[in-house]
Parts: sequence; structure tokens; C-alpha cells
Amino acid sequence: MSYRIGEEKLEVYYQVSLELVRKCGPLFLEGFQKPKTDYEVKSAFYDLVTVYDKQIEATLTDGLLKTFPESKIIGEEAMANAKTPPELTDAPTWIIDPIDGTNNYVRKIPHCCISVGLAINKELVLGIVYNPSANELYSAWQGHGAYLNGQPIEVSNAKKINQALVCYEISLIVVSKGRDKNVKRLYKLASSATGTRSFGCAALTLCYIAAGRCDAYHVENLKPWDLAGGAVILREAGGRVYHTSGARFDVMKPDCVCTSSEELAKSVIQLIEGADQISGYTFK
Amino acid sequence: MSSAVSESKLKEYYDVALKLVLKCGPLMQEGYQKAKTEYKVKADFYDLVTVYDKQIEDILTEGLVAAFPESLIIGEEESAVSQRQAELTDAPTWIIDPIDGTTNFIHRIPHCCISVGLAINKELVVGIIYNPPANELFSAYKGHGAYLNGEPIHTSKVTTIKQAVIAYEISLIHAAGVRDKNVKRLYKMASNATGTRCFGSAALTLCYVATGQCDAYHVEDLKPWDIAAGAIILTEAGGTVCHTSGSKFDVMKPDCVCAATPELAKNVISLIEEAGQITEYTFK
Repeated sequence: MSYRIGEEKLEVYYQVSLELVRKCGPLFLEGFQKPKTDYEVKSAFYDLVTVYDKQIEATLTDGLLKTFPESKIIGEEAMANAKTPPELTDAPTWIIDPIDGTNNYVRKIPHCCISVGLAINKELVLGIVYNPSANELYSAWQGHGAYLNGQPIEVSNAKKINQALVCYEISLIVVSKGRDKNVKRLYKLASSATGTRSFGCAALTLCYIAAGRCDAYHVENLKPWDLAGGAVILREAGGRVYHTSGARFDVMKPDCVCTSSEELAKSVIQLIEGADQISGYTFK
Repeated sequence: MSSAVSESKLKEYYDVALKLVLKCGPLMQEGYQKAKTEYKVKADFYDLVTVYDKQIEDILTEGLVAAFPESLIIGEEESAVSQRQAELTDAPTWIIDPIDGTTNFIHRIPHCCISVGLAINKELVVGIIYNPPANELFSAYKGHGAYLNGEPIHTSKVTTIKQAVIAYEISLIHAAGVRDKNVKRLYKMASNATGTRCFGSAALTLCYVATGQCDAYHVEDLKPWDIAAGAIILTEAGGTVCHTSGSKFDVMKPDCVCAATPELAKNVISLIEEAGQITEYTFK
């Protein structure tokens, strides 16, 4: 069964979720500004969660389900104990990361945010990414452009890799499975880019490309909630979001190449293919 | 000729430099807001400099020499123009980077700063680093601790790499001459750290170790002005700054390992040594 969503309904989804996300700002800052923010380790020593992740997710989930009882939720903390991977249906589905960049959050590095995306008929239609620590609220809904604190944002005009500021999640090198891939791809991208950065927050990195601050990003092995909100914002800002292979982006398996332009996406994909051909050495 | 500097003279150096740096804030902010304008290429296509770089350095240089005629200047822009290798004598010497993180500055990424260090008898004694876009003013003078916006800062207590969030300048992989070294060292460090970041400003990264937001940083092939001020801020915050080999830090050849604790510094140095043992493949 396919859902037909009118423009008016889409705007209601946007206004309600925007208000809820804003409402979580003070709670987010309370944890961020605390001299010492306690955390638990989840799946691995580098995978952290705080009480604020749980409280923010509960606030968002409760608020959204109350207003839109027909919708579904895919949230990071709700999924933390799930036995099966989340499934995306045609129903309006909120894809929520209550704190993206929790490792930054506990250390008070101001690259952390609340991220909310909405998919309907398996298409991403709405994204809100809010970083209270930098007073930045990015938002977008399908067909209506992307905004930072209410002002329109647009990607840069970078088309060549040697003009591009590239982002890469170098923290992922800590995971032994995927280590070789990540070191080699970083090597190829950083060798060609004018500069390379790693901020430790996927959702915000997509927003930085949307705002024209950065130009390209490649990441794999993350979760839908890491990418969903930012992907809509980037597209509405004129950017490109593809699967790493160059195929269509799939939010449920969000291995991706994100760029300011089509040409740049092609260059990044080619460099990744080049990296994957390196067989003379393996980083274990 | 060596001359002891009195406590009150040291305080005067600090106070005057602080006022001058603050005075440059509005100018830097003006340039930051203009973004992607009035730049030209120097040295390599990706090493950008702006008119603001020159203006800020002029204000600092003129102000410091007027207040302290006996002092000398080692500045980024002055060195670029004169093409002369800077030399450090026993004279009070200001080591200035008018904008550290020029690529970030141009892209409106809020990790860019004015950096001013003072060395006397070849020892660093004053450091001031000001990031107007993020409203962060880091300062220190020898024996008096380190401060962020007037509040004391201190490094974390992290002693092992497994607990550490480290920072690494992955942009350096772009330079063919140091590529292989940087790929291998990053691989070793990121494989063991709880997280790895790259912000694109050496001066600020030293400050983030000083505040405990990050725990360790390794970088080579930079200039004295990239590291001078941050090094004294970090040591006054309780951190360790040594040469990559583990020997005494030399600001004029500032290849360094910077860490929250001496134990962590040793950990990082061991990993760098391990990286140096990888000889069966070269990343060209």
C-alpha cells in the first residue's frame, strides 16, 4: 500500500518535527555543558551512549507518535536492543539519531547534533539536523530548499577533486573489519583533495557540504539514522547523494558518496575504485 | 647573549600581545563572513592566503615592535615574502601566524585562529590563540596556567591510546613527499584510538588537547608559527609536547607528539615507531 502525501501534510510533518527538535535543544545543551557527562559503552569501546541520547529520543518519539499515530519510528536507541535489523515500509517513518557524534558530545567537541529524517514510500522527504552547541539548525523538506537558521543554503561550486575539501570518518579505521578499505580509500582521496577533514559526526558533515563549507564525503558501515536527516538537507541544497558504487542511495544500507556536484561525485567514485584495486599490501 | 626576563616584564608581554590579538578579532571576523573572496595561490594550489592574513600580521607586527623595540618577529607572511629561513636567537621573538587554518577560514569552517607565541632565550613563554568565529580565546604564559576565555583549562587524564581521541592532519597525505609516512602513522594511531579527528588547524588542535576535548596529536613538516603558541598553552594546561622521537621539542623544527599525559605520549611514540617498520609497501 502506497501513501499519497499532499504538500500540506508534508508541511505539517515539517513544522511539528522542527518544533520538537528545537524543544530538545535545552536538554541537549544541559548534557553538553555538564563538566563531566557520564556514558555507557554499547557495542564496542568506541561506541558510546549517554542518558541524554535516551531522553532526547524518547521526547522526539513520544511527540511524533502522538501527533502522527500512523507513523513509524526507526531510532538509534530503540534499535540498540533490537534483535532484527530495522525494516523500512511505505508508511511515514521517522529515522532518528538523538545525538549523532556522542563521542564528541561527551568531550564537548562542538560537532554533535540531533538528527531527524522522514521517509514516505521509502523516499526521504524531510530532514532536520540541529547542533545546539554551535547554534546551527539545518532543515529541509522535499522541493523547498535547505536552510540554516532560516537562511537558504547552497552547495559550493567545486567540481574537481583538486579543488575540493573532502571529509572522511577516519575513526572507522579502529574497526578491524573494514580497516584496510578505509585506510586505502582515505589515502586515495586525501592524495588528490585540496584538504581533508574528519569531524566525527556524519549528519553534520552532510550539512557542511549543504552549506558549501565542505565539498565531498564518503562513508560506509553507518546506520540509517546517521545519514537520513542530512541526506535530504544536502539534496535540497543542490548536492548529490549516491551509493558508493554510483547507484541509487539506499538509506537502509547507507554506504554513500556525498558531494556538491555530479562531476565531483564521479571523481570520488573513481578514486574509491582505484583504492579498491590496491592489492600489494593489506592493513590488518 | 642571554638575559633573564622578570615576572612583571613577562606579564607585560602577555597583556600587550593579548590586547593586540583581540584588536584583530573584528577584522578576522569580517574576512570570515566574506568567505571565498580575495584569495590568491601561493606555493601550492591548496595553500591559500588572503588579504586578511597580511593585514592581521601587519597589525600584530607593528603593535608588538612599537611596544617592544628590542623584540624580533618570525611571521608566516613575512617569511613567505622574504624567502629567508627564520632563525631563533636569545632575543624575545614573536612567532606569529595571522590566520592558522586558512582553508577553513575561506570555507567558513569555525576552526581558524590568530596565533601568537613568544620565545625568550629560545624557550616558549607566552601563547595566545584566538578563534573569533567560535568566540574562543586561549592564552597562557609560563608558570601561570592556561585559560579559555579567562577560565582555567586542563588536559584530560587519559594515559592509553585505547581511551584517547586523537587528532591527525590527514590533509598532509596530499603532499607526495610525506604521503607514505602519514598514511602509515595514521593507520597505526587510528587503529588503536577510540576516535580520530582532523580539524585543519594545528594551533587550535593543540588547544583542544589543552582543554581535554582531544587527548593526543602528532604532526610533522609544519612551521614554527603553526605550533609555537599552542605548545606553551598545552604545557601550561598540564600536557606534554615533545619531538616525535621523544626528545626535547624544538619549535624551529616542530615535528611533535602532543599529549594529555607523558604516558600517552609514550604510547603514541611507540605506534609511530611501529609505523616506521612497515617497509614492504610504499604509498606513492
